Amino acid sequence: MTVGSPPYRPDGRAWLSAARKVGTSLSVVAITLFGLLVITFVVGRMVPADPVIAIIGDQADQAAYDRVYQELGLDRPLVVQFGTYVRDIATLDFGRSHLSRNEVATDLARVFPATVELATAALLIGTLLGVPLGVVAAVRRGTWIDQVARVVGLVGYSTPIFWLGMIVILIFYAGLGWIPAGNRVGLYYEGLVEGPTGFLVLDAVLAAEWDVAKSALGHLVAPALVLGWANTAYISRMSRSFMLEQLNQEYILTARAKGATNNSVIWRHAFANMRVQLLTVIALAYCGLLDGTVLIETVFGWPGLGQYLTTALFFADMNAVLGAVLLIGLISVGINLLCDVAYRLLDPRTK
Amino acid sequence: MGRNVKLGGVALAALMVLHAPATLAQTPDDQLVIGLNMSSMRGLDPQELNQFESAEVVANLYDRLLTLPADDITSVEPMIAESWEVSEDGRTFTFTLRDDVTFHSGNPLTAADAEYSLRRLVKMGLAPARDLTQWGLTAENVDEMIRAEGDTTLVVELPEVWNSDLVLYSLASFSTSIVDSQLVEENVEGDDYGRTFLQTNDAGSGPYTLRTWRANDLLIAEAYEGYWGGAPAMTRVLMRHIPESSAQRLQIENGDIDIATRLSSSDLDALAENDAITIQTTPGVGFYYIALNQENEILANPQVREAFRYLIDYEGLADTVMRYYGNMQQTIVPAGMPGAMEDTNPYALDPARAAELLAEAGYPDGISLTYYATPVTPEYEIAQSIQANAAEAGITLDLQPGDHIGDFRARNYEVFSARTGDRMPDPHAVLQSYAQNPDNSREANLAGFMAWRAAWDVPAEMQALVDEAARELDSDRREEIYAELNQMYLESSPPLITSFQRTDARAIRDRVEGYEGHTTWLTSWDEVTKSAD
Repeated sequence: MTVGSPPYRPDGRAWLSAARKVGTSLSVVAITLFGLLVITFVVGRMVPADPVIAIIGDQADQAAYDRVYQELGLDRPLVVQFGTYVRDIATLDFGRSHLSRNEVATDLARVFPATVELATAALLIGTLLGVPLGVVAAVRRGTWIDQVARVVGLVGYSTPIFWLGMIVILIFYAGLGWIPAGNRVGLYYEGLVEGPTGFLVLDAVLAAEWDVAKSALGHLVAPALVLGWANTAYISRMSRSFMLEQLNQEYILTARAKGATNNSVIWRHAFANMRVQLLTVIALAYCGLLDGTVLIETVFGWPGLGQYLTTALFFADMNAVLGAVLLIGLISVGINLLCDVAYRLLDPRTK
Repeated sequence: MGRNVKLGGVALAALMVLHAPATLAQTPDDQLVIGLNMSSMRGLDPQELNQFESAEVVANLYDRLLTLPADDITSVEPMIAESWEVSEDGRTFTFTLRDDVTFHSGNPLTAADAEYSLRRLVKMGLAPARDLTQWGLTAENVDEMIRAEGDTTLVVELPEVWNSDLVLYSLASFSTSIVDSQLVEENVEGDDYGRTFLQTNDAGSGPYTLRTWRANDLLIAEAYEGYWGGAPAMTRVLMRHIPESSAQRLQIENGDIDIATRLSSSDLDALAENDAITIQTTPGVGFYYIALNQENEILANPQVREAFRYLIDYEGLADTVMRYYGNMQQTIVPAGMPGAMEDTNPYALDPARAAELLAEAGYPDGISLTYYATPVTPEYEIAQSIQANAAEAGITLDLQPGDHIGDFRARNYEVFSARTGDRMPDPHAVLQSYAQNPDNSREANLAGFMAWRAAWDVPAEMQALVDEAARELDSDRREEIYAELNQMYLESSPPLITSFQRTDARAIRDRVEGYEGHTTWLTSWDEVTKSAD
């Protein structure tokens, strides 16, 4: 008889426990999203804009008003309206936007990739510039590079992003002619590439439409840089303070005492330990970018989710508002869940 | 660090190379690029929409029986109807249609399509249905009254006699666009009359076909090679959603767009200085007005109403904020129409006179009222100006910006100001709304009438004249009646005070020719040509 523990095999109870965990997470997600829907629905009804007048114009006669009022189902009690909406959502029917006249799902499939494309580009810029800048600033505290990082942070934080966008357009479009005025692609390249991902640069590359890809990339650069600038500021400030915190720990002293090189101390020891915090910051920044790009989308005429949601709110297009809010909610929850998974991978203590 | 700096340099160089090709070339000679704010567009169904920008698109995707030239909007001209006859009793209109017209789908256009479209407009009963229902056509009688006889004859019969010009104007409206009945029927969902399909698709026979339509983003129309009037010069018309006025200004200055619309006053001022750009203003059938709710005891006093006319800085506004948005006009018949008195503007800003009138009305210590206005240019600037002038006359106006159209329609307000926009090139368009109110009771809920919204029990004599003019067949007599009505309205201290007739301004690059803004929303693209810049 051999002595020792048998290899681990999950028994029924372990499966049950895992299933319970998944179940709990899912119900938390469901409750969160339902809460979001309730709040958006109620707030949406309190917005003073009248969707009927938004559709028929303010001079229409009362017969036309009543007809559209009924078509929108506004004559039914609020609870019934909400119940119907939730029932439709359950069958993945988000209804129709009265602004675009499309299915909300169709609209979202068009505008959301545009925002993801812009937000991802901005996040890449923010992370690739912000993290090294913050780390170096912490390591060389008090030197000129730290001062530069500080100025970048301060200016990036305090400059209103729409103003910066307008200045960029004024200088680089109107003045120098380096960048296009806005939108996702040159007007004459519109419609040449459609799908499959909705990320225009990627789609154009996949379709080997190099002119379209170049034009799309050219249109992406300016708004992505402006958004990326604000993110660089945020991420570099956070990276700097995380790094400083790590550098004051005793294990750093130990590592140095053991004769580790400076690079190794910073990147292998200190940086490895700030990854979890940094990940949280980057994930939050990404969430912020996905639902907070509206100003830049307006300034650069970028047909994304932010613009879609704002216009819908302004004209009381409730199906579009609810659909967009639900999508943003889902994405935020999704990113949070991904972060949880990443923590487990990066931080041995959470295993 | 050295490496980082080098990397940065490479990145910057790459950026500049990437951007170098984005040179700001002028728009192609055979394509027209229009910048606009698309956010109020509500789909492209001609029998449903009621909106300026959408109407312009529809006017180019579809044909109508009749048309009104942009430079002479009261002369009805043939379009699909080659000729027409009005019966002696004035009730029956018989149109002979062209037989060489095909829809974009390839289907031939016949009288059955015209019948289908006009009946569809009436039966759907949405906002533009008024174009026909005001002449007595209803969902119940329209199948009998509007009928095709053979492929090229369409008969429109009316239950009552109206001035035939008015009826013909209605049949030139975008709402009477002829849709491809076969194509629409194939796309009907339930009892939606094909609306879902037509809101985002084209079923027309006009000079342009719809290629791409993405709400709040982009619209591309392509020339229709098979157009009966000959293919237009512009092979494509591209409309780009540019919500920011300043962005439109930069783009038209750079030559990236040919036409900019709905610009702010300051951007229009700046563009007016540009040698390559012309500002075009198109008069509209509507007014900037102040409404005084007659359910309010104070405002029901004629002297108080009269006092408000002295609170508007007509001259000052005309020179500044209203330079491109309107022409000063205190009378009710729009300029250029029968009975108009363009130069009769007897009122000027005079707060002291307003205070006197108030005292005579029994309010020597002034009054306080709530004032609703929409916070958009130029309406809000006008409201602020009135508020300041009112203060001098002892009237405290609590100005509350917001979307109060609903309150105005429901009579839940004291003072309200905004602007109207009608489409018929005749005084009747304005008078039937401003000076007719068949039942002033709250229960009647006639929110389609401006006079009802002001709770104004319009003098019976005035209402009768409005009706008489619309039925009068003799044009000289009509002009007399409108002149009389114009004077009568001016002298009645009306609770709907007009100050400016609206105009719509566009900035157009000089290389574009033949783009004429249309008073009744029928701006057409098929006459447009472009020269080298």
